[in-house]
Amino acid sequence: MMNKVHAPQLIGLVLVIFFTLFPFVYSGNDYPYIMHIFITGFFYAILASSWSMLAGYAGQFSFGHLGFMGIGAYTAALFSHYFYLSPEPTNFCTEFSLGDSYLIILNPIGVTSSTLAQDCLKQAMEVWNGSVQVSPMPVWLGIVLGTLMGGFFGLLVGYLVLPLRAAYLALFTLGFAEILRAVISAEISITRGQAGIELRHMFENGITLFGRYYAQTDKLPPYFVMFFLLLLCLAILALLARSKFGLFVRALREDQDAAAALGVNTTRYKVLVFVVTSMMAAGAGATMAYYIGIVSPNNIVILQMSLVVAMAVIGGVENFAAAAIGAIFLEFMLEMLRNSFQIGPVVVDMTTWRLVIFGILLMLTLRFSPKGLLIPAIEYFTRGHVAKETVAKRGGESMDDASGVEGEN
Amino acid sequence: MEFPVIFWGVLVWMISWGVIGSIVTRRIYLRKDLDTSSTGMVGAMLGASTGPVGLVPLWMKTPQITNKMMAFPALASVGVFMIAFALADPNNLCVVSGSFVASQISNGIIIGIIYGFMALGLTLIFSILGVVSFAHGEFYMIGGMITYFVTTVWFPEITPLFGIGIACVSTFILGAVFERLFLTPMYTGKIGRPVEYGILITFGLAFTLQYFVQAVVGANPVKAKRFFDFPRVRLPSSADPWLIKTSRGNLELFDTISISNPRLTAAVMCILVFIALMYFLHKTWTGKALRAVSQDREAAAIAGINPDKMNMLAFALGSMIAALAGAMLVQAFSWLPQVGAIPAMRSFVIVVLGGLGSIPGAFLGGVIVGLVEAAGTGCIPNAQQAASYIPAYGMIVLILTLLLRPTGLFGRKYSSGTHGNV
Repeated sequence: MMNKVHAPQLIGLVLVIFFTLFPFVYSGNDYPYIMHIFITGFFYAILASSWSMLAGYAGQFSFGHLGFMGIGAYTAALFSHYFYLSPEPTNFCTEFSLGDSYLIILNPIGVTSSTLAQDCLKQAMEVWNGSVQVSPMPVWLGIVLGTLMGGFFGLLVGYLVLPLRAAYLALFTLGFAEILRAVISAEISITRGQAGIELRHMFENGITLFGRYYAQTDKLPPYFVMFFLLLLCLAILALLARSKFGLFVRALREDQDAAAALGVNTTRYKVLVFVVTSMMAAGAGATMAYYIGIVSPNNIVILQMSLVVAMAVIGGVENFAAAAIGAIFLEFMLEMLRNSFQIGPVVVDMTTWRLVIFGILLMLTLRFSPKGLLIPAIEYFTRGHVAKETVAKRGGESMDDASGVEGEN
Repeated sequence: MEFPVIFWGVLVWMISWGVIGSIVTRRIYLRKDLDTSSTGMVGAMLGASTGPVGLVPLWMKTPQITNKMMAFPALASVGVFMIAFALADPNNLCVVSGSFVASQISNGIIIGIIYGFMALGLTLIFSILGVVSFAHGEFYMIGGMITYFVTTVWFPEITPLFGIGIACVSTFILGAVFERLFLTPMYTGKIGRPVEYGILITFGLAFTLQYFVQAVVGANPVKAKRFFDFPRVRLPSSADPWLIKTSRGNLELFDTISISNPRLTAAVMCILVFIALMYFLHKTWTGKALRAVSQDREAAAIAGINPDKMNMLAFALGSMIAALAGAMLVQAFSWLPQVGAIPAMRSFVIVVLGGLGSIPGAFLGGVIVGLVEAAGTGCIPNAQQAASYIPAYGMIVLILTLLLRPTGLFGRKYSSGTHGNV
């Protein structure tokens, strides 16, 4: 029997099928543009849903999430830019023998250097004169490394913020992201600063899927890579949220001391939630970096963080699926609102005004529907017949609200 | 840098002993069942400054920790760091040129006073509402923008005080309206987690204001004209002006220290407003009521103070202070809608360093951050690198403070308001 309790799952299934079929069905003129919006939307969805696990479930309002994304992206970029495999030793670079090939590490040269084209590998290639085939590192390895590096920094930050709460935690993580950005912009000789560092494309030589060849610039392969990464992250988050882990991190959010007194290893779970969510952010960052082909410190600015926070909050910060759907929808909306228009003599520059609208929407959502715009809809279906959330409210002022029974049916 | 090995070697030595000191000292005090609240700070600073020489006696004696035991090792660590830098880079301008150092220090203090003044607004908001306002930088930006438009675009002939006044009044109203519309649900317990709500809603306000201004004004940098010119002064005589020499835009003391006009006027104005604010907070009924609410909300309410009104006043006043700092500095820097981000971060650093909610702490913190930034920009050999690192200096101070002494220099351990303790 079809129950309305299952409606959200059904809608989720419909959305997954829609996004799976979309690239094959849609055939408008703006196909690459729409695909690009969706890829970016999936990227933001990963960030927003992992941030909602961190902030909404575990109550750790971290403003350094984009920092972890940047760590993933820059790890992938540096790895792709500086490491190569060659069957012959170059005798110019730092190199290590790996079985019958050589791992080559390029010497860093800055963007201001006049010998921009003269790194050690180029010198060696000139000597070889095309006789030796140098192969770059595989993309998947860059993404894995980026993810692991994100996890490592997540572990570090998780340990450092153990004693900090609320505003202090927000400031600490903001400081972490800012230092990271300053280091990346300042160490020009390695990261090339504001100019950004280039990566090889995700599918450098194109790819053949099910007997059909997709060129390097085709949007379909990266679309599915990002889509499956999103589904993977959502699956992991769903698994975690339903397990003991989800219960414990929510206990951490409600009252850390009480949770510790009841035998929850708060240290372990606080660090763990940082590690898991930073790995997701870093993985998304690394994948996005390979897709865009360039990363720069501007990707980590606080504006980007505002976007992720706004998407998660408008979707619903206490439900990662709602945050993800909200992110995709808002990214789409933001792109659609780009068209400037004219009222009489006044040209309304929508590229900026759309962000103003976005900010006002964020504030109104927070003020009048703090659970986000999607969660109340989900709750209408799933929890309409049960008593309202029974978690203890802080301070006890709102005991009446907490015990109130809503809509018995 | 001539001998980078010395510098990095000493730095690694200091950091490793600092980490060892903070962890082990805490463990030892915990085992002996003593107060561990400041052991991390003492252990880290003693370890960084003296290494095992100071740590071993501390571990053996485990004395009760006093403020002196924190201050001296902290100063000593700074000293060791400076000596290491001087040895590593003997030809650096910071090491050889006394006049350069004096100039950097005096400029650091002057800019630090302005930073401290801006952070004062944040600390006022925090001590009464318990909210860290993420929109502080945007109020700073708007204050500057309004002053620029009034004094340079609309009424070029009018006195700059008029522009500053308009900036103050409009941001005061904006702050009050925002507080009434969006922060009131925090006080009634309608919202499950008020601190996080406060962070997010001010974050949203910052986002909205920044893009609103960009949509209205455009993204091109603007610069206000100088508010006022120095009179021409030559002391002791015009032939030999070694004491004071002024031109219209600059002031030179002792032939070495050069201070630009906009910064000096801004700093002087900040000090004047600070004195007025102190008078307001300590001598008037409303000011006393504000302080009372910051100390104990319930007790103040019993004494007949309406805490809700004080919330509105505090947010409006705090935002106005940020706008005033912006209005003073718009003549010194070129102005963009994004200009608020870095001063906002700096204010966070300062209030955490000084102790969230502490007014003298905000001023001292401002001067310290000003000095650290002056040292960072003046002493790093590669000028471009130094400039890129500017936002990071303060953040390093912030992270160190949060790790070692989260209450800051003068922080109350249990401040009231809707927020909890650290």
